[in-house]
Amino acid sequence: MSRQELIGPQGLRQDGRRASELRKIKCTPSVLSQSDGSSYIEQGNTKCLAAVYGPREARQKAQILHNKALITVEISLAPFSMSERKKRKKFDKRLLEIASAVKQTFEPIIMTNLFPRSQIDIFLQILQYDGGMIQICINAATLALIDAGIPMLEYVCACSAGIVEDTTILELLGTPELTVALLPQSQKVTLLQLETRLHVDKLEPVMKMAIEGAKDIYKHLDKISRNYIEDLLQKSNPHPPI
Amino acid sequence: MSTQTYEAETFRKLQPQEYLRKFLLKEVRPDGRELKQFRQTTVNLGCISTTNGSSLVRVGNTTVVCGIKAEVSIPRQTSIKEGYLVPNVELSPMCSPKFKPGPPSEHAQVLNLNTLCIHEGAAVWVLYADIVCVNYDGNVFDACVIGLITALSNVKLPKATFIEEEGLVKATEELLIPLNLSRLPYPATFSIFDGGHRQYFLVDPTEVEESVAHEVITIICDEAGQICTVWKVGGISCTPKHLKKCISIARERYAEIAAIVENEEKSNQIK
Repeated sequence: MSRQELIGPQGLRQDGRRASELRKIKCTPSVLSQSDGSSYIEQGNTKCLAAVYGPREARQKAQILHNKALITVEISLAPFSMSERKKRKKFDKRLLEIASAVKQTFEPIIMTNLFPRSQIDIFLQILQYDGGMIQICINAATLALIDAGIPMLEYVCACSAGIVEDTTILELLGTPELTVALLPQSQKVTLLQLETRLHVDKLEPVMKMAIEGAKDIYKHLDKISRNYIEDLLQKSNPHPPI
Repeated sequence: MSTQTYEAETFRKLQPQEYLRKFLLKEVRPDGRELKQFRQTTVNLGCISTTNGSSLVRVGNTTVVCGIKAEVSIPRQTSIKEGYLVPNVELSPMCSPKFKPGPPSEHAQVLNLNTLCIHEGAAVWVLYADIVCVNYDGNVFDACVIGLITALSNVKLPKATFIEEEGLVKATEELLIPLNLSRLPYPATFSIFDGGHRQYFLVDPTEVEESVAHEVITIICDEAGQICTVWKVGGISCTPKHLKKCISIARERYAEIAAIVENEEKSNQIK
């Protein structure tokens, strides 16, 4: 599809969305029984499963930090997740890079000083991939960490945006793509990633669009978390004292 | 001399075998099931749209996702008229705290058993079956085999023709033909636990039961009631009478799984 046709005559994109519309989000916390916390997120056609183990005893003695917890992130892309089957090694450079970005995003947010000498592992499994890897990894990890009960300063929500001929588009999933991870309550940006060319004048509108998208995702995640916890509370204490 | 009383969880960690024995003496298992009872099995077909066929299988808490992608390739030397299936299992540290990151363990290699019988066209299709274990709570082999078979039954391949002059294979996306599977084998796994005076055969073991089992037997049978595979690799010996009982349980389980898969396929067609 050429750039002009990216937004059709009725203002709709190829997948039926408007320029400032997010992909459909479905998310569920606590889907796995073996891990301490888990979540499943679908953003459009991209599906990601997150599992959090921790805080638990550190695996490698050499990497123990005496005053805080060690965070490790591992991202795995299933071979059937993309339209072309590719068996990716665990040490694929691209995945390592994204895992490292996710780890650095969460390190200042998780209260690691509460768990010295221990380890928190975040595993992300991408079952189906249709664009937006970093953002779905961060969103899935946030929900899984909340499910695991690991204390965090606040939510981290990520979203991407792009621009095509002066129209800023939310979740463009093409080029240029600017991904932003936001701390919605303190209104701070914690991750900003752009890997293609973007004119300096266009940076601000694209960033604003991505931040708006991240705020919408925050509302969604927050609603799901609260519903889930309320549900749990009700089940564990059906007759609360008045 | 003092006797200590433990909480159930502590007892389970300190003496797992005794813990299990106490339950088995009352003919029941730690999760409340009877010895011959399978856990609740659910199958979900066609969940991953980037694949040619996919399935999500849950046996109790053990969850496995299987995706199949088809590619065209030259046939193998030994079987020119047949395509082939390449299974691959991933057991990552995500699914259980017992797995450490690193190269695939021997567990994953053993799970690559291929017990199928498919006939594919002359332009050879290669099916890459990737099974990812997402949650490990025992009996992952059963879940993987069920996942593989149901994903295969979900596969729809485009009609392909081989053009001699160009040496190319052309496939039309519009015409999708489902795979023709001549047999549908389903498994049943048992763990044998030596309780001193008798052997207990526990059907569909959980992770707790598997870790103290002395042996694990898997029996795979197909719709005609015939046995495709019996997998018992040393460990402990059992009488032929016990084995026969296992086989008859495996047949009952076959009917159970076949009914679940049929229900799922019917509801899929309605969608």
